[in-house]
Amino acid sequence: MLDYSVFHTIAWPSPYAWYFFVIGISVALFFFSALSWYREEFRPLRHSAFYLSFGLLVLGGLLLIGDLSQPMRFLNMVNPAYLNFDSPLAWGSLNLVAFGLVSVVYFVFLRKGEQVNAKRLAVAGALLGFGLPIYTGFDLTVHQHRAVWNTPLMPVLFVSLSLVSGAAVASFLAKGPEKLVSMLRSFMLWGGGATAAMLVSLLGTTAYGGSGSEVTFMFMTSGTMGLIFIGLGMVVGLAAPIALLLAPVGRQPIGIMAAGGLLLVGGMALRYAILIGPQIVHTYY
Amino acid sequence: MSEELRLSARETRGKPGVRRYAMVIDLRRCIGCDACMVACKAEYDVPLGVFRTWVPYRVVGKYPTVKKQFLPRLCNHCDDPPCVRSCPVGATYKVEDGGFVLQDYDRCIGCKACMASCPYNARFMLPEHRTRSNITSVVDKCTFCHHRVVQGLVPACVQTCVGRARVFGDINDPSSEVSRLVARHATQVLRPEQGTKPQVFYIGADRNMTEYGRDVYDAREALDDERAVFNRNHTI
Repeated sequence: MLDYSVFHTIAWPSPYAWYFFVIGISVALFFFSALSWYREEFRPLRHSAFYLSFGLLVLGGLLLIGDLSQPMRFLNMVNPAYLNFDSPLAWGSLNLVAFGLVSVVYFVFLRKGEQVNAKRLAVAGALLGFGLPIYTGFDLTVHQHRAVWNTPLMPVLFVSLSLVSGAAVASFLAKGPEKLVSMLRSFMLWGGGATAAMLVSLLGTTAYGGSGSEVTFMFMTSGTMGLIFIGLGMVVGLAAPIALLLAPVGRQPIGIMAAGGLLLVGGMALRYAILIGPQIVHTYY
Repeated sequence: MSEELRLSARETRGKPGVRRYAMVIDLRRCIGCDACMVACKAEYDVPLGVFRTWVPYRVVGKYPTVKKQFLPRLCNHCDDPPCVRSCPVGATYKVEDGGFVLQDYDRCIGCKACMASCPYNARFMLPEHRTRSNITSVVDKCTFCHHRVVQGLVPACVQTCVGRARVFGDINDPSSEVSRLVARHATQVLRPEQGTKPQVFYIGADRNMTEYGRDVYDAREALDDERAVFNRNHTI
């Protein structure tokens, strides 16, 4: 566009991608813990998945606050006098706090063995939890001038990535019946397939978009970002584990865990590329 | 603007009883002296490496008939600003009478959602340390010199422009100079397709300068050099 312009920084750096990653896993692990009240095969995950979910939730919150340039003002995000409900971030912060509170109370009920209350909170927490990947998707979607971000796919893609990454982590925690491992394999396989279908569709739309979209496509599919997005994200992190899960070894715990490891690498790479890639082109504007 | 085109309740262009300040930049008059950048830096003590207004250029033509085309840039003080919509704590707001899009430094948490939402790169993060100001680590931007305009003055960049390329005024007043310029000349705004309704109008802008081109993919080395130097010396 221009031969000379002043330097512009990207708005959202990599800590946000880590936040998306850990919060996605946290939500899915809570979901598996909640599922244990309704599906017996998930029973071995009830406590371990929840404890890890809670730890990751705390880590995610710290990442989010740490990335604010005024971290001590994070309480402004939940101050009713300040909240701007036109912003998905405002809804997201309330959702995050509500999920955190439900998690704390769920923890207390689990420790006390109050099964009826714990079961109720598990449902509420799972519903609130899925609000987190949905809001992170909306955070990106609402920026109308950003190719890739500004698509209705984003919230769905983040939910799908959350389930896949969560199932991958749960496959390392699962030390139970074969049926549980098989269920986690199904989550990884179908979630991975859905994610791949969405990404292919997203890439096609971006490649045939306007000039900004086309250039974003070029940035995301070549050079270092191409290596991260296509290489690590789509090939190593989606295609390879799906192929592995479909192979005979993919029905055994060792194969499922190997696929889980690859899906985690891919989940992080995809979140990073989706966050950073569409911001590169704008730094030249 | 007619009532039919006003989509958002925030829009005040054409709204009776309120002022809607706008700027017209006549690119035929801009000589690229950068006095506007210097005046702005002096007015606000804008730190090194960030700008409230800046003047990028492009060299056009074929040797020996070449020239530099300048495109002075600043916050567009959009009539429907996406930064106001995206700020979770209401730190970015629009003044109804005047249309200024301003920043509440005491409320800003530094989440950078406004920076992500601005299609014009008009926002930047202030550094952690400043010599003469305690406003640090919050997002900043051009204010259309709100503090000067409320005293009956024009913005510092307009005041200093030697070629009188920048003209400032109330576009809701049909007798103002900006209204007459916009009515008489073919003007352009940046990225009109984003629906932000920018209030900085350009006379003589070339769409090749205001759109993304494939050349950003093959950016000049000078840009990357500057980027590398910035990364070495700044922590934002």
